[in-house]
Formats: sequence, C-alpha cells, structure tokens
Amino acid sequence: MKKNIILVLVLFTVYINCKGQLYYTKNGRISFFSSALLEDIKADNNQVISIINTSTGDIQFSLLNNTFHFKKSLMEIHFNEDYMESSKYPKDSFKGKIKDPSKVNFTVDGSYPVVVSGELTIHGITNKVSNTGTIFINAGIITAASKFQIKLADYKINIPKIVKDNIAEFVDVTVSCVYDKKR
Amino acid sequence: MTKKIILITIAAVIVITAITGYVLWNKPYKDVKDADGVKITAVDLYNNFITDSAKAILLYTDKVVLVSGEIIQVNLNQQAQQIILIKTAVAGASVNCTMEEKIAGLELGDKITVKGICSGYISGDADMDLPGDVFLIRGYPSK
Repeated sequence: MKKNIILVLVLFTVYINCKGQLYYTKNGRISFFSSALLEDIKADNNQVISIINTSTGDIQFSLLNNTFHFKKSLMEIHFNEDYMESSKYPKDSFKGKIKDPSKVNFTVDGSYPVVVSGELTIHGITNKVSNTGTIFINAGIITAASKFQIKLADYKINIPKIVKDNIAEFVDVTVSCVYDKKR
Repeated sequence: MTKKIILITIAAVIVITAITGYVLWNKPYKDVKDADGVKITAVDLYNNFITDSAKAILLYTDKVVLVSGEIIQVNLNQQAQQIILIKTAVAGASVNCTMEEKIAGLELGDKITVKGICSGYISGDADMDLPGDVFLIRGYPSK
C-alpha cells in the first residue's frame, strides 16, 4: 500500500514536471525581408502563437498569412492572393525540438545559443529544417530569437515570370517571441 | 501628320499606364474605421470558429467585424501596438485584437466593442492544454 502511494506521488511529480514547464505567447513576432528591384518587400506579423516546453524542448509556432502587414496594401494583396494563396493555405507552422534543452538553464539569466530542428509548413508544403537561434532569459522572462533564410522554391511559392528577375529567390525570416508561463 | 498622331498616342498610353501603375502601387489600405461591419459578441465569434470553422471562415475571415465583450488583458506587442484580449466562453482563449490606435484608461472587466478585420482562428495545442485565439487586426474602438 505504502509502495503504491510512493509510486503515485513519483508519477504525479514527473507529470507536473513535464506538464508544468510550458511557456507560450499569442502575440509573438515574425518578420520577413526580401530585396526587390522596385522596392524592398518587408512584412511583420505580431499574431504568432508559440509554445515552448522547457522540460522536453518541444517548440512550436503558428501564424495566419493574412496577419502579415506590409507597407503597401498592393503588396499585401499580391502576397495573400498570388504567392501564398492564403484562402487555400491560411496557416504556416513549425513544430520541432530544441537540441539538448538541458544546456539551457531556464532559471538563470543569460543568452543560450540553441539548434532547433523540426518540420516547417509553408504554403501547404512541409520540409524538415534545422536552424540556429538564441534563448534569452532575463529576470525569468524567456525570449526566443532566430534569423534564417527560406528558399521560395522549396515551398512551391511561384513567382510570376514577369517579376521573377525582380524578386529574390531567398527570403530572410526573423523570429522574436517573448513568453509567459502557462498557469 | 500621321507620325505625329502615332507619337501622341504612344505618349498618352505611356502616361496613362504610368499614372495607373502609380495609383495602384500607392493604393491605400481599406478604411476600417468608417466601414460597416458584422456585429457579434466575442463569445459567439469564438464559438463559431471552434464549432464550424469552414462556415466561420466564410462569414468572418478578412471581413470587418464589431466584436464586443469583456476585457481580460491589455498589453503592448513588440511594435508597441496595443493588444486587447476579449473574453470568450473557453478559459484561456480570447479574441485577440491588435489596435491601430491606443485606448487610454482601459480596465480589466470593462465592456468594449472593437471594430477590426477578423483574420481567423489559430488552434493552440490540445496536448499542452492551451486553447487558440481568434485574431482581429487593425482594430479601432467602437461605440
């Protein structure tokens, strides 16, 4: 009987440890930049949902294409209608893991370089990716940041021939998310 | 004389094309502040997305909506835009409004109506017990 109670307590502690280390944001920021002949293409999205499980290193991001905001409305229209086909593929996402999450001490202030690997889905196409990033801990606040490039062709984002020479083949993506602890 | 007419025609076509291009390139964003919109409560809007997503997308996504409900959180995003979270019937879920204009003096529990463009719903993670939000962008306060 005593053994059973101890076992239940151990399992409960393990469950709390795994389940209790969740941090999230629903207003993370992802931006992209692409140089173009007529005018650089730049957009920001501040409606990114991201979740980190600091125990397991699981990390995920989701966003809606139509929440990217551009300087010009015409760019936004072309982005959603011609390139991303947002009515067909409204959401992009990433689901992966921080490699060696034990190397990040989430309770000690500092800046921790990390490698994150997983599956990135854009425009309905899923690719395995691996990128570097940094986890910043400041007074208990967790911030995740990363900069990487994506190749438009890898996600079958077609650029019309007439503007093909004016738009870069790669897009620079910047991620910045500040997390709250899930209660 | 014929040559002159051809040259004038070509010049006129070039000018018209340039003006059209310039106007299209600088076309302003849709006026949300003075647009009419669908009136709905945050509770109903959220429920519509989680119970019949396809229908909700047709009815609300990329449309101007006036969402009313109780404020559960007010903060700023990384670009210093005001974020107002409006309560839904699901704990931890909200209608997440990014405002074009900051509203001063908001208190938690206040009733509010926000006019903005509904972007849609992002699910959270059921395994992690985190519900998603319905997002509203380019928000303005509405009476």
